[in-house]
Amino acid sequence: MPATDYQASFLGRISIRRNQVIAMDGNHEQELQDLELFSKHVSERFAELLSSPDDVPFDALLSISWLRKLLDFFLCCEAEFKGILMMGNDPSQISKPPLDRLIPEFLDRSVKALDVCNAVTNGLESVRHYQKLAEIVVSALEQKPIGDGQSRRAKKALTSLMSAMNVDDKECSAAKATERSWSFSRRGVSSKDRVPEHFRSVSNQVAKNWSAAKQIQAMTNNLVPPRGAEGSGLASPVYTMNVIMVFVMWALVAAIPCQERNGLSAIHFPAPKQLNWAQSIIGLHEKIGEEWKKKEKKGTAGLLDEMQKMEKLGNILMDFTDSFQFHGDITGQKAEEAAAHAAELAETCRRMEEGLLPLQMQIREVFHRIVKTRTELLNALDQVGKSSPPLL
Amino acid sequence: MELPENLNKDSNGYESAEKIILRWDSTASEDARERMIFETDRQEADLYLQAVDEIQRSLSNVSISTSSNAGKNANAVDDQSKVNTTIQIAMARLEDEFRNILITHSSALETDSLFDPSSSSISTPSHHELEEDDTLSNDDSSHHDLLQLQLQHCESSDSSTYRSTSSIREVDLMPSEAICDLQAIAMRMISSGYLRECIQVYGSVRKSAIDSSFRKLGIEKLSIGDVQRLEWEALESKIRRWIRAAKVCVRILFASEKKLCEQIFECVGTDIDDACFMETVKGPAIQLFNFAEAISISRRSPEKLFKILDLHDALMDLLPDIEAVFDSKSSDSIRVQAAEILSRLAEAARGILSEFESAVLREPSRVPVPGGTIHPLTRYVMNYISLISDYKQTLIELVISKPSTGSRYSGDQTTPDMEFAELEGKTPLALHLIWIIVVLQFNLDGKSKHYRDASLAHLFIMNNVHYIVQKVKGSPELREMIGDDYLRKLTGKFRQAATSYQRATWVSVLYCLRDEGLHVSGSFSSGVSKSALRERFKTFNAMFEEVHRTQATWLIPDTQLREELRISISEKLIPAYRSFLGRFRSHIESGRHPENYIKYSVEDLEMAVLDFFEGYPVSQHLRRRSQ
Repeated sequence: MPATDYQASFLGRISIRRNQVIAMDGNHEQELQDLELFSKHVSERFAELLSSPDDVPFDALLSISWLRKLLDFFLCCEAEFKGILMMGNDPSQISKPPLDRLIPEFLDRSVKALDVCNAVTNGLESVRHYQKLAEIVVSALEQKPIGDGQSRRAKKALTSLMSAMNVDDKECSAAKATERSWSFSRRGVSSKDRVPEHFRSVSNQVAKNWSAAKQIQAMTNNLVPPRGAEGSGLASPVYTMNVIMVFVMWALVAAIPCQERNGLSAIHFPAPKQLNWAQSIIGLHEKIGEEWKKKEKKGTAGLLDEMQKMEKLGNILMDFTDSFQFHGDITGQKAEEAAAHAAELAETCRRMEEGLLPLQMQIREVFHRIVKTRTELLNALDQVGKSSPPLL
Repeated sequence: MELPENLNKDSNGYESAEKIILRWDSTASEDARERMIFETDRQEADLYLQAVDEIQRSLSNVSISTSSNAGKNANAVDDQSKVNTTIQIAMARLEDEFRNILITHSSALETDSLFDPSSSSISTPSHHELEEDDTLSNDDSSHHDLLQLQLQHCESSDSSTYRSTSSIREVDLMPSEAICDLQAIAMRMISSGYLRECIQVYGSVRKSAIDSSFRKLGIEKLSIGDVQRLEWEALESKIRRWIRAAKVCVRILFASEKKLCEQIFECVGTDIDDACFMETVKGPAIQLFNFAEAISISRRSPEKLFKILDLHDALMDLLPDIEAVFDSKSSDSIRVQAAEILSRLAEAARGILSEFESAVLREPSRVPVPGGTIHPLTRYVMNYISLISDYKQTLIELVISKPSTGSRYSGDQTTPDMEFAELEGKTPLALHLIWIIVVLQFNLDGKSKHYRDASLAHLFIMNNVHYIVQKVKGSPELREMIGDDYLRKLTGKFRQAATSYQRATWVSVLYCLRDEGLHVSGSFSSGVSKSALRERFKTFNAMFEEVHRTQATWLIPDTQLREELRISISEKLIPAYRSFLGRFRSHIESGRHPENYIKYSVEDLEMAVLDFFEGYPVSQHLRRRSQ
């Protein structure tokens, strides 16, 4: 953004002169209205998020398209939130209690959220990798009738796929090693075993000791709803926005493989009942948390709906190819079933193909938005904090 | 050659091919697992490839013969299935071979030869090292509340302007024999419909090669949180390292990977080598840029300006190469990210400059610098803007708006104003620099009011403004931007301060040496009041001693200025005293204890003036006049 825009749009609103105080009185009413409106919009949007036709099972909740809705939800709320905060009547409010404590905390959470965005983007590359492996399976099983060659090919790809999903998750969680043996023949890796990372799907771009679960846990530190009189001012929307941000990050991490997610379900969101959107978030949190616990026991990859499907279908098809190997030709009903499953897998791949890139781009947009708000808040703080020692 | 109707005609060729394929089925035999065809023997490899070709031919024959039959021939279907199986076995084997060749020749880039110091930028700006701020005497505890001024030395070895022309340099990552083999294998895999496997294998092996190269280049995986937490000094060296590494990555590493993909997949079209290339480098490229991104969003503070400009310049320089290397549709996101980072860095630089200006204005220390000497703020600011003028080339393009100044008629006492009309034709950057000097003076004026002694206040201003002038004169770029008009204004200001000082101190001293009031009308013989005269001498002595005692401890660091001021004082003081002595000494000498009144000779005074502004206390006793 050219410097002139920057100055005009923001510095222009914040007065540098100490002796100019923008009149507050008439605008107080307006401010209260804005706060109420914000709260109302948040609950409405949340309700939309939760709404799905009754016949769609819960699993479909964390699908790619739902995640995109979730991110849209975040962007809308964030825009409104920023409007309230920045175009407020008295810019110096952000340096007064309780905001003088809450805003820096919010900024700190923002930085953590940025890292989560990056980790999730990295995780999406893994998902893309699974997609590509699945596409091999699909193309092998597409040919009719399915011969031995195709079955072997499919099996090889399936094995890579299932191992990748498992390995990534082992990297991701400290879950105990599954009993499942790696049922592939040791092809391609000579006895010298030169590639230890052979089955790792995507080179990891995340810092070594970084933990998604710990990061989110840290984001919930000090996340306390405003009490009493505090709740009537800007503290309330700040709290709301904080919770939304943490929730969105948490949901993303639950859905998409990220480094080190052990203990994700133990994270709680303090959402007091009087906040009208609290019920929705608590409900959602519980549902996702339960699914996560189930997943941890099974040792499967993230909760992303498409990935769950892929895993389920992968297992089925794996069995199919196994029995093909041992029993030879399979015709009739079994073949038809297999074809149907392969078609489902193709559909899942297609959804990934359509949705992953836009999802990545959306996460990038979320990233940018968080950065922008953070920068503007930092500038505002610096402008207002004139009595504090300068940065020299 | 005619295509055979069925397989039987060609069965010998097919059968022997099949045999070869089956022999090397690693699911079937231990021996097949242990050895790699392409490592063993050139001939073996050729034979194997021929076998694969043979099988592929058969496959197309079978398809033709099957489809040309009216009804489904069970045998044909069986044959097709058998051939498919054989193909699959061959493809699996080739995949392993492919992987093996790649692994054998995938090691980290030899980076030592790549960091060629002579190949780094062509134009090196003359960085002057920032002056260490050392005038703060350590034993003076009253300065602890002053700012900590720890400007880093700029290392001139890493020049800041990277204006070298784009120099993409692809290296051979693999011997050409290996490339030929890989090409041969890829061709077969792709024509059998096993493209996806090929890409997967290629990507996974080359990615780990790039990872090792990254490690060698010292590219770390830091989270944004990490970068925010690190001390800026630590980050500076990381930035330096990153700049060096990024150049190697983009211009050599990635470019070479791209070339390798093009070579291996030469015969099969650009989409495929694009896909392989992106499969390989997308992740690492994102990792590389994440660091620069983290820096671009870190909190702004003045000391960060120059490294951020370095980073900006480096990235700017790399941008054409980035666009050349990542030119496909699928690499949009990388180009976009690089451009975003560049614009954030520019914004950060502008923001830091703004903040710096505010900080200079607001700098709140009230404890006056002892001796009226140069304030640390002055040094810091002048060093800072000298450095800014070194980065002029970049900043001139980045800084496009005028500084936000006070308005002349606002009556606001807390900000100075600057009239832009008289500064027509100056670049925004120059305006900012002038503004900074204006703001600095404004702040210094405020500080000068904390001196109890008005003379000292004037001296303080004189010292500091003079220092500003010297620094501007000392840097051609700075001088050119500030302009001689404003320089004249500044010069006038410190001369004015010198004059004010003299007036403040010496008027009253010289007042003692005036003629009026000493003559008494009346008697003819002695027209001078002896008592008044004695009073005059006493007063003069006392005043002079006081001034001498005090102002010896004051400091004018600049030798020439010190001299000039002393000379100016002498020029007024000495003749006045000499003439006073000349006219009135006889009256004192004719009375009692003349030595109490005429304590000093002209020479004594001349000597005493030399003590002024040295910054040291002197003994109380001036040399009495020698007799």
